[in-house]
Amino acid sequence: MAFLEINNISKSFASTVAVQDFDLQVERGELVSFLGPSGCGKTTTLRLVAGFETTTQGKIIVKGEDITNKPPNQRNVGMVFQAYALFPNMTVGGNIGFGMKVNKRPQEEIQARVDELLELIAMPGLANRYPHQLSGGQQQRVALARALALNPEVLLLDEPLSALDAKIRVVLRGEIRAIQQKLGITAIYVTHDQEEALSLSDRVVVMHQGRIEQVGPPFEIYNFPKTEFVANFVGTLNAYNAKVLDNQRNVLSIEGQDIQTAQTLGAYKNGDRVMIAIRPERLSFADGQKKVNNLACTVEEVTFLGSIVRVQVRTGEKTLYVDTFNNPYLELPRVGETKQLTFSREAVLILHP
Amino acid sequence: MGNNPVLEEKILTKRESKKGSAQPARSPRFDFNWAWLGVAPFFLFALAFLFLPSFSIVVRSFQGVDGSFTFKNIIAILTESDIINAYQASLSISVITAIGGGFFGFLLAYAVILGGMPRGMRTFMVTFSGVASNFAGVPLAFAFIATMGNAGLITRWIEAIFEINVRQMGFSIYTIWGLSIVYMYFQFPLMVLIMAPALDGLRREWREACENLGGSAWQYWRYVAFPILLPSILGTMILLFGNAFGAYATAYAFSGSFINLVTILIGAQIQGDVLYNPGLGNALALGMIIIMSVCMFGYAYMQRKTSRWVR
Ligand SMILES: Nc1ncnc2c1ncn2[C@@H]1O[C@H](COP(=O)(O)OP(=O)(O)O)[C@@H](O)[C@H]1O
Ligand SMILES: [Mg+2]
Repeated sequence: MAFLEINNISKSFASTVAVQDFDLQVERGELVSFLGPSGCGKTTTLRLVAGFETTTQGKIIVKGEDITNKPPNQRNVGMVFQAYALFPNMTVGGNIGFGMKVNKRPQEEIQARVDELLELIAMPGLANRYPHQLSGGQQQRVALARALALNPEVLLLDEPLSALDAKIRVVLRGEIRAIQQKLGITAIYVTHDQEEALSLSDRVVVMHQGRIEQVGPPFEIYNFPKTEFVANFVGTLNAYNAKVLDNQRNVLSIEGQDIQTAQTLGAYKNGDRVMIAIRPERLSFADGQKKVNNLACTVEEVTFLGSIVRVQVRTGEKTLYVDTFNNPYLELPRVGETKQLTFSREAVLILHP
Repeated sequence: MGNNPVLEEKILTKRESKKGSAQPARSPRFDFNWAWLGVAPFFLFALAFLFLPSFSIVVRSFQGVDGSFTFKNIIAILTESDIINAYQASLSISVITAIGGGFFGFLLAYAVILGGMPRGMRTFMVTFSGVASNFAGVPLAFAFIATMGNAGLITRWIEAIFEINVRQMGFSIYTIWGLSIVYMYFQFPLMVLIMAPALDGLRREWREACENLGGSAWQYWRYVAFPILLPSILGTMILLFGNAFGAYATAYAFSGSFINLVTILIGAQIQGDVLYNPGLGNALALGMIIIMSVCMFGYAYMQRKTSRWVR
């Protein structure tokens, strides 16, 4: 039995279905992120776990105990909100110690815990500041410390960095991950930022319209997206509508050219239409014709992105992106030039609708 | 773990301060900020309609009937029992209606904003409060006299139904308490009007964070919501106090000079035929200005405290 079990929960608000058949097992000490576009039900799922919303259907179980119908103030899950959730009338110390204070813990114990947590979030000596005297990043650290103060079973974070600027965001997400691993706390992290989800999670849950699209480690989500939605949402994507030519030898046809995939097409009949995807970094320009997986293209645009160079090309109807690592001796393609694209069989991903 | 953002901020402030000090000191002669010119008309306005009259009140408080300098007026307002009573009446009525209006107004504002009323109802209540808080003066006083006065509709009605004479039983609305009730009609909506946005400013995250940390609804109000609202509540009560203290038309229309308030006394000194003594009137007004200024500073202080919290 997993540490946190979200068993087939659904949640509807009047006529809107916010979450549907959400099923997930989270192991102790794992950091799982919910990734998806705005409105896909991430916050609602998190609020169901915290107890701020009641499930329409399904169960939530922590350490074998069913908490589905417990009020939020008896659940012992810590929550970090998007922003501005610190109590403005209390100091940093007051905020961090608040949970212990309402739980009637002795003053010395509170004091010691506050100091310990301030150390943990690298803000020692700032206990007497008020929230309005802190930067956005500092406020979110304090919010994290406050949520950790009662040693919660599960830590919930709802886009905790989305109100901060890009630089601080990157620093802080690393710190959140470090603290989570140091304490070995089970955590759910909600974000709409794929880079954030990929960089700090043990597993990523990609959500779409209230449902889970795919669950897996970041590596798997990125490299082997199962659905078109996942492939599209996580990373840049070149998608093709292809026809199955030979389901035994895994041959497809796009734009009248035969291509081969390493994935098996056994589930399809010859003549079936399937969506395939190729990541930009898996495409490259060939010097001459290769034996398999060739596409003729015209260069439309070259964009320099620092460590990579993104080339936009046209093959028949489609616009594709080709990423190459930058190096000073790279010969950049010229706009209007005709080139050959090539890719490995492994690069061709079959997507399910 | 690193503490880069903290560090970065420190570096930033250092850099900024360096830049500030590196600027060549300009001669003060060229430092005049021409943008001030734009607000000059407002200063003139304030000068003409606020400071000059106040100044004239101060000056004339120290003038006798013949225009010569005297402390007589000041001594009078500190010693004459009629005047002390008037201040007492004005203060009591202001305190009563500030506390009463504040309390009930807060409850209504709470019901309107946090009571889960439909959106349309909220808008209606707030708009209505806006209108009602200006429902003062002659119409309000008349409405009361017509319903609960000696010959008022309700008074007569009660007398007819219960076959008693409430006036002989000592009932009268022409008392401090009666006038307080009349004042409530504009105090109460004013409190609703000012408290509604303050209650709206309570973030959902605060309540949820409190709940999430094991706090009860009572603890949320005790430790979070009430302390956050307190400056607004006190500030608005100060405003209500000033509002009642300065009211004149309502009281005058309601009871003539039956209830001796400071404002009514001033009116009598300045336009009165019997009591004409403008010097004393000005001294009375000076007392009011001082009390009102204290209120204004108190209100501004409370406002500043809240705005720092609720950004
Ligand atoms: N309290 C609510 N009342 C009605 N609809 C809601 C409520 N909360 C969320 N929703 C709806 O549920 C869906 C999911 O919302 P949410 O969980 O906030 O998405 P996300 O956090 O992924 O952006 C949205 O369509 C949203 O409009
Ligand atoms: Mg959300």
